[in-house]
Amino acid sequence: MHLLLQILVNGVLLGGLYALMALGLALVWGVLNIVNLAHGSFIMLGAYAGYYLFTKLGVDPFVALPISMVSLFCVGYLIQRNILNLIARAPMFNTLLITFGIDVVLTYLAQMIFSADFRTTNPVYAGDNFAVAGITLPLVRVLACGIALALTIALWLFLSRSRLGRAIRATAQNLGAARLYGVEPRLIYALTFGLGAALAGAAGDLYGVVSQINPYIGATLTGKSFAIAIIGGLESPLGVVVGGMFLGIVESLTALYIGPTYVDVVSFGILVLVLIFRPNGILGATA
Amino acid sequence: MKRLMIGIAAALALSGTAMAQDTITLGASVQETGPLANTGRYYRDGYNFAIDKINEKGGVTVNGKHYKLALKILDNQSDTNLSVRQYVQLLTQDKVNFLLGPFASDFALADSSVAEKYQVPMIEGGGASDQIFSRGYKYIFGTLPAGSEYFDSTLQMMGKLKPAPKSVALLYADDAFDVSVAKGTRALIKAYGLQAVQDQRYSSNTSDFSTLISQLKSSQPDAILVSGHETEVLNFIRQAKSLNLSAKLYSFTVGVPTADFRKALGKDANYAFGMTPWLPSTKDKDEYFGDGANFASAYAKQFGYAPDYHAASAAADVEAYVKAITAANSLDPKKVRDEIAKLNFDSLYGRIAFTAHGQINLPQTVIQVQDGKVVPIYNRTGFLAKAQYPMPAWDKR
Repeated sequence: MHLLLQILVNGVLLGGLYALMALGLALVWGVLNIVNLAHGSFIMLGAYAGYYLFTKLGVDPFVALPISMVSLFCVGYLIQRNILNLIARAPMFNTLLITFGIDVVLTYLAQMIFSADFRTTNPVYAGDNFAVAGITLPLVRVLACGIALALTIALWLFLSRSRLGRAIRATAQNLGAARLYGVEPRLIYALTFGLGAALAGAAGDLYGVVSQINPYIGATLTGKSFAIAIIGGLESPLGVVVGGMFLGIVESLTALYIGPTYVDVVSFGILVLVLIFRPNGILGATA
Repeated sequence: MKRLMIGIAAALALSGTAMAQDTITLGASVQETGPLANTGRYYRDGYNFAIDKINEKGGVTVNGKHYKLALKILDNQSDTNLSVRQYVQLLTQDKVNFLLGPFASDFALADSSVAEKYQVPMIEGGGASDQIFSRGYKYIFGTLPAGSEYFDSTLQMMGKLKPAPKSVALLYADDAFDVSVAKGTRALIKAYGLQAVQDQRYSSNTSDFSTLISQLKSSQPDAILVSGHETEVLNFIRQAKSLNLSAKLYSFTVGVPTADFRKALGKDANYAFGMTPWLPSTKDKDEYFGDGANFASAYAKQFGYAPDYHAASAAADVEAYVKAITAANSLDPKKVRDEIAKLNFDSLYGRIAFTAHGQINLPQTVIQVQDGKVVPIYNRTGFLAKAQYPMPAWDKR
């Protein structure tokens, strides 16, 4: 029983980090209808940003979080403005192709600049933990989970309450009508893509503290984010959190009861089931 | 103008053939990019380093004719399928004389079939899985000790520690190398009379070990043996700390001997046990490098990082070719193959002599990270230094 509780807690904490990783991907997918295959590479860049800020300038990774987000926002904004805008109204296949290309370029640039060495952002408290009722809670994962939830709520408030957020949602729902009300779609697209990249930057900064960084971590992270976005649905950031937690818990329980080699089989199996039975996500409206 | 161009082209073509005549080309496909690039480069650097040194000392003489060694290296992007295609290309298009291996067992397992099919020898220093050598192939030779015996010296040492660990947990990844390590280790655990409390296989791309670590915490083994890749080992140690998992000892098949590992973990790397078939030593005399220690310092000077056993094994592979080609006094792949099988010489890496299966017999020295340095702890002759054992709990460091 005690072990099961510990595994469930592990799953929830892992899910928080997963949710943060997927948040940006889901946002860009929902608004721009672009499945950004370079999303994992943005996370990787965010992780390097956090790593260098910490090792070279001594900036604490949690203080570095906004810096990493702003840097990645700029990267995302510029990529959307200069590259993705060229294919803004093109079919899905073209967007997949171009984001895949961006992913390859970013990955190999990263190896040229940062080398293939393994890095970790390792502040003194990185391995700290505390116990509640016999359950061990790793400090950084708890904080990361908290930040994931805070950013999700902030994003949700931004999209539902602010003028700009409403403009983003309007653009996603009905481009023509949004334009009639004076929304400039090119600006909205670039802002949204920048925002998605900024969220990836936040995830990457925290990822470096709990895991290791190399130029090739992106591909797996894109895959995970993709699965979470589908399971959680694209309609609301809250769905993404549910999707992330769900995947985290399922993976942890699979590793415990079925075996660690079956984690991906089960999680992608669930992905297929969700696509069949609830194509809009577990929280989404039934089709 | 046109005539000049033709003249230059002709001159280039001629010099090309002239060069080809006195060059022996070794071909290899290694991971210069992709997830395995981190270790793949040790092979690229090791091959290049040995070839330059051997050429400096006059190259190879066959039938009274002097040859320089050359290297044709292709980047397999950490993709096994691409690697196989590249070895075919090396033999059919680039017409290399002999093959050097890739890094990692999964690759060597697939690529050795190309060598076997074209009957051109491949000496590889990057794949340790017993599986590579259990298929009756005649053209594959390996300079890493058998995967199944990686933990042998560690388990032997455990019997001599006080208090000796009694229960063992074994974790391993699901690729060719780690599966063969697990198979051998399982038998060894039994043979040494230890109790196996966990025997868990995980996927090669696992980044989250929290479930496994929580299970280990509840079954409380004295010793934890992990067979995996460096990236998994790093994640395992970091997460073991954050979930406060302590055993009396833990040991890892890879990572511990490399500088990169210690740099990534900082002081969390301390107390980790590992193993290596090679440590830079003045005892390993070598015709081209003087000795192992000389090799290590010259290598570190050129590449800016200290070589571990991967690079030494790669350099030994090149030397093995030189010895075998000289003995065969021919460039015929079959004759050279027969001489490789008969090799018995001392190198910077230790004694090179292949078993009938084509693998080398090299004992693993147990090492431990103590205060950020790799310390040799135990080999077949006994303890070389005091082991820091039992390892202190994370919160008492």
